[in-house]
Amino acid sequence: MSSAAAAAETWNGEGVRLSEVETAISRLRAATATDGAPPSLRTSVMTHLAWVPQSWVEPARAALAGMAERHPSRAILLFPDPDAGVDRIDASVTLECYAIPGVERQVCSEVIELRLLGKRAKAPASVVEPLLVSDLPVFLRWRGEPPWGLQELDQLVGIVDRLIVDSTEWDDLPYPYRHLAGLFERTAVSDIAWARTSRWRALLASLWPGIADVRTIRVTGTYAQALLLQGWLRSRLGRDDIALEHVEAERLEGIVLDGEPAPFPPGDPPLPSDVLSDELDRFTRDPVYEGAVLAVAE
Amino acid sequence: MAAVPQHANPLEEGLSLRRTPDPFALVIFGASGDLTHKKLMPALYALALRRLLPSRFAIVGVARTDGSDDAFRDDMKQAVQQHARDAFRQDVWDELATAMHYVVTDFADEGGESVLAELLTKLDAERQLGGNRVYYCAVPPSAFPTIVEQLGKRRTATGWTRLIVEKPFGHDLESAKALNAMLLEHFSEKEIFRIDHYLGKETVQNMLALRFSNGIFEPIWNRQFIDHVQITVAESIGIEGRAGYYEAAGAIRDIFQNHLLQLLALTAMEPPIDFTAESVRNEKVKVLKSIHTPGPKSVVRGQYGRGFVEGEEVAAYRDEQGVAPDSMTETYVAAKLYVDNWRWADTPFYVRMGKRLARRETTIAIQFKRAPHPPFEETSAEGLRPNVLLVHVQPDEGVSLAIGAKVPGQGMTIRTVHMDFLYGGAFRTAMPEAYERLILDTLLGDGTLFTRADEVEEQWLLVDTIVAAWQRDKPGFPNYAAGTWGPPSADDLLHRDGRSWRRH
Repeated sequence: MSSAAAAAETWNGEGVRLSEVETAISRLRAATATDGAPPSLRTSVMTHLAWVPQSWVEPARAALAGMAERHPSRAILLFPDPDAGVDRIDASVTLECYAIPGVERQVCSEVIELRLLGKRAKAPASVVEPLLVSDLPVFLRWRGEPPWGLQELDQLVGIVDRLIVDSTEWDDLPYPYRHLAGLFERTAVSDIAWARTSRWRALLASLWPGIADVRTIRVTGTYAQALLLQGWLRSRLGRDDIALEHVEAERLEGIVLDGEPAPFPPGDPPLPSDVLSDELDRFTRDPVYEGAVLAVAE
Repeated sequence: MAAVPQHANPLEEGLSLRRTPDPFALVIFGASGDLTHKKLMPALYALALRRLLPSRFAIVGVARTDGSDDAFRDDMKQAVQQHARDAFRQDVWDELATAMHYVVTDFADEGGESVLAELLTKLDAERQLGGNRVYYCAVPPSAFPTIVEQLGKRRTATGWTRLIVEKPFGHDLESAKALNAMLLEHFSEKEIFRIDHYLGKETVQNMLALRFSNGIFEPIWNRQFIDHVQITVAESIGIEGRAGYYEAAGAIRDIFQNHLLQLLALTAMEPPIDFTAESVRNEKVKVLKSIHTPGPKSVVRGQYGRGFVEGEEVAAYRDEQGVAPDSMTETYVAAKLYVDNWRWADTPFYVRMGKRLARRETTIAIQFKRAPHPPFEETSAEGLRPNVLLVHVQPDEGVSLAIGAKVPGQGMTIRTVHMDFLYGGAFRTAMPEAYERLILDTLLGDGTLFTRADEVEEQWLLVDTIVAAWQRDKPGFPNYAAGTWGPPSADDLLHRDGRSWRRH
């Protein structure tokens, strides 16, 4: 939807209490009321959490750009810095407002950035809980490989409805998939690496029934995508004898089945924000993905 | 791991596969007309852009205007560039354009239908379309019989056939029955898709979502809790050069017979057992059958005189080009209707529609009964109005609920405030045009959002009785100024019941 450029108002604070963050949001919202007109609409369909270690700050902000416009939400970005040498929370609150075509009022979403310094990074759920929008789903985007077994992950998984990871960002695959599978009973999981195989899976599905006897799949793409496609075929076809050949590439560029190249799927590959946006529209567990992960994690 | 049976495709599970239509040939009769330029071709482009069309299809424009395939493609390209809601993409257009053809014929001409039939047979063979046909009649009703008869005679031996018919579906009950009989002589009801584009609007469909996916509304959606319903279909524009059509139709045939009665049916219908075409349309027909014929005092008609719209002085209806200086055609209708069934007995549905009103607005307002005993002093609650659930069909698409809230400060002063849900605020994706949805549904064979023959006939039965009563008097037209909310008698219609039209 075309809309006027976002207008943003920002508040910053160091060593803040969360009540100050809420107050800042209220003040920013009240300030959008002008000349006796009602304040801009606050519209939320979810709380969007992101756990962003230092090395992922810029990619996280880039993926978030424009997301509030497509999924009006309260976005809470957590920047953990346990080695900061001080124990406090620094915060910035930005109200991003968008004009709705044909409507005089605008819609505003909140972006809350919290820098969790020192020990304040150890119990993130207690930081986040007071800021969740009541009764709406909570999505957690975890950049990089989650710290399996540590309480930061354990706590946040306990308060979210969906965990969104990108296993392309992980090292030592397929072993981390075992840890990920351990979360399946606790929360729904999305994997951006899996989502990026969607167009190709639809195409491979169209090769049924010929594909039922496939022995080897060669994937030119990330290793995560190659593993997940192998796991998908194994779990869906009920066979554990399908071999994988992997050719490294930054994106999924081609699939060969028993020496025969699969046709290229129609259309352009989706943009990063489109992929994340699609995952934010899902609310239930994905048993097909879980099956694919289990098939390569075992 | 257990081996899967060979007959099912286990790889499809979990994929968000869209239903894609079968290969088809779409034939548009009236391809040189406004509807094709402004609505149909932009809709087809939007479907192609979103990859909702199958890989094999053909579009054949048929009109009397001289032209060629290339000229037709150029003309349609300009139409898409001018009217599509998406940015123009050459690659998408190229795919669409290669499937487009043009046939110059008037079906009244000897042999005209043979030219089209030969082209379709050729396209069938070249593109493997399976004999599937969609015929879109974007032509005046007078051209229907010849086209329909010829199409009926030349049905393909293979594939499916669907016929899209634009309103008006007749001029009265008798002509509607004749039209239905003529259509049904050559096509089955399941093959006929009568378009009322209002049903393709997202916000109209949202009425069904609002009612039947929220547990809080349906228990109070009845005479016990609802005081009355107001439906407004207001336009600020005039007749826009369509005097020939409008003089014969008037507001009651232009809006009341179709759009307005559809909105009323969706508001008043019982929950369908499922969302299939027959279930939904069965429930709508029950509502139409239940509408009590209004007496003369329950219907108001009006015609606009000179006035001001958006600061600009505009002509009276009788001064519009092509309108008779003593025209008695109504440009405004208001009515008090009752749906005589268990759910709605004694609950009035006030409806109004017209041209050159104060602003463009289509809304459905559900006004609930007042709180039985507010425990506040009378003065503290004097700013309090009854709860109103307002469905904005256009513009400002969304839903708002008027509720009472305490004014901050000392004492207990209550005021009415609005809780708003704006479509554009919660779903930041562009809403599809009604024709996109309706053309795609036709290609998929889903008639849920189309009007069935018996619905049309029930609508005309009501209109005919109202129009018959009008023959007995001659109101003093014009009786409202352009840019106002209609004649004073429309206000009296509600004042007599101790109510008033919703404030804007």
